[in-house]
Amino acid sequence: MKSARPAQLFAIVFLTFVGISALVPRLWTPDSYETQLREALDAPPSARFPLGTDALGRDRMARLLYGTRVSLALAPAAALLSCLVAALVGGLAGLAGGWTERTVLASVDLFMSLPWLFLLLTVRAMLPLNVSPLVSLGITFGLLGLLSWPASARVVRAAIHALRDSDFILQARASGVTPWRLISRQLIPNVMPVLLAQFWIAVPVFILAEATLGMLGLGVSEPLPSWGSMLRELEGGNLRAQPWIAAPAVLLAAVVGCFQLIFPREDYSI
Amino acid sequence: MKTLVTQLGRILALVLLAGLASAVLMRWSPGTLVDERELDPRMSQETLTALRANRAAENSIGAGFVHYLKGAMRGDLGESTSRNAPIADLLTQNAPATLRRLGIGLAGAWLGGLGMAILVARFRQSWLLESAVSMTAGTLLSLPAAVLAYFCLTAGIAVETVLILVLVPRVFRFSRNLLVQAYGSSHIDMARARGISETRILFGHVLRSAAPQMAALVAASLSMAVGAIIPIEAICDAAGLGRLAWQAAMSRDLPLLVNLTMLIAMVATAAMAIAELAPLRPGESS
Repeated sequence: MKSARPAQLFAIVFLTFVGISALVPRLWTPDSYETQLREALDAPPSARFPLGTDALGRDRMARLLYGTRVSLALAPAAALLSCLVAALVGGLAGLAGGWTERTVLASVDLFMSLPWLFLLLTVRAMLPLNVSPLVSLGITFGLLGLLSWPASARVVRAAIHALRDSDFILQARASGVTPWRLISRQLIPNVMPVLLAQFWIAVPVFILAEATLGMLGLGVSEPLPSWGSMLRELEGGNLRAQPWIAAPAVLLAAVVGCFQLIFPREDYSI
Repeated sequence: MKTLVTQLGRILALVLLAGLASAVLMRWSPGTLVDERELDPRMSQETLTALRANRAAENSIGAGFVHYLKGAMRGDLGESTSRNAPIADLLTQNAPATLRRLGIGLAGAWLGGLGMAILVARFRQSWLLESAVSMTAGTLLSLPAAVLAYFCLTAGIAVETVLILVLVPRVFRFSRNLLVQAYGSSHIDMARARGISETRILFGHVLRSAAPQMAALVAASLSMAVGAIIPIEAICDAAGLGRLAWQAAMSRDLPLLVNLTMLIAMVATAAMAIAELAPLRPGESS
């Protein structure tokens, strides 16, 4: 446990560094993610292009930084959406009890009866595949947020259930506190730590899920870069001859590893 | 017996609900009511009207699902739109390879994951062992299954090994926590004080007290394995249900996806039910 603190500090510093680099990619490269340099197709790493260029002459470093921005900005956004839905559904079930609670639990069971990745794949396939990059971005991260609330909702329901029967809530009710005030002043602040934990657990899970969807061709569309779409290059490339094409995988592993150090969890999504 | 019937009812209800939910999604997915034949200029207005009426009848959720269930009872699961082949045939052709992979993958993952967990829990004073194993598990957990599959494909490693690599860290982390918890209980200290051997403590007490949660973990690992097999088979281009699901998704073969959804829901809920039917405590029936 003594060594955990420096490791966590290192992880925070590293994530901050990656976050700043993604926010200000011009610090590292003058090119945009879509600029095609026809005189430098498939160029190897150099001072100008630290990670070389792809088959269309696009700077891999620029694409990696912009892709990092997409993945690191939208995974938390999807996690926020997921937590909001979980709070609404779990909160409703915990507060209402009875049939509402049983219906919610049944729908949670239904969602959880399918492996999450398969569910994502199926629902993604039912939506249009040939869409603009921005729409594909919205669909990918929207789905991540909308399909992953069940586990969190179950946790929120349990927390609300425990709070509902607690002495201070009973006392507040007996004192004539209105339901809305009870929810906003007592329940939400007490459930917030649970939701916050669920949020931070979801972020790396969503980063990995986007990468998997991207590698399977169901993620963010070209030319917009994301870690998932950049990892697709691995399939067409030659890793032995061009090891630098694995840079997105290395950065992805490092970022998710840092999240694991800060927020340890047994099961990271596939 | 009552519990068994309840669980069977639950499995059936969940599978039917999963199928119905997929049918609803399929009905409302963009492009469902579009028929390319309608673009054919040779079609008369009457033919077009008849085509639309047919399509509307086919896409009626309630009637369509009942029709599907009736067909399924006779072994007719419908036709794949992308492959123009009976879905039942596609499933029976692809299932054996995936089942074999899942079997090998799960067995390997449990041998490796539980083996490492036992070592780490037994010698938990060894900082070096704990760090080395945790770091390896952490690295494997930080990579998506698809990336691991690609690396293994490049290195010429078998598909089953990829599944083992994906599952080992998950099995290890869960079971290590369970075993460390079990090793920390007072009756283990008592057993040690009485001079009982470590092997007997492990098999007679630690593994026994962790068994119910381990059973739940077996079911969870099956669900994880089914999820992981899709990107693994897709990236490694290995024939099986995972690759079939991916190809169905890419070609928007919705009838095939609905069938796969029901099949996977059945396997996953059955595994969960078996885990729940496992005794809560060693020697105690639920």
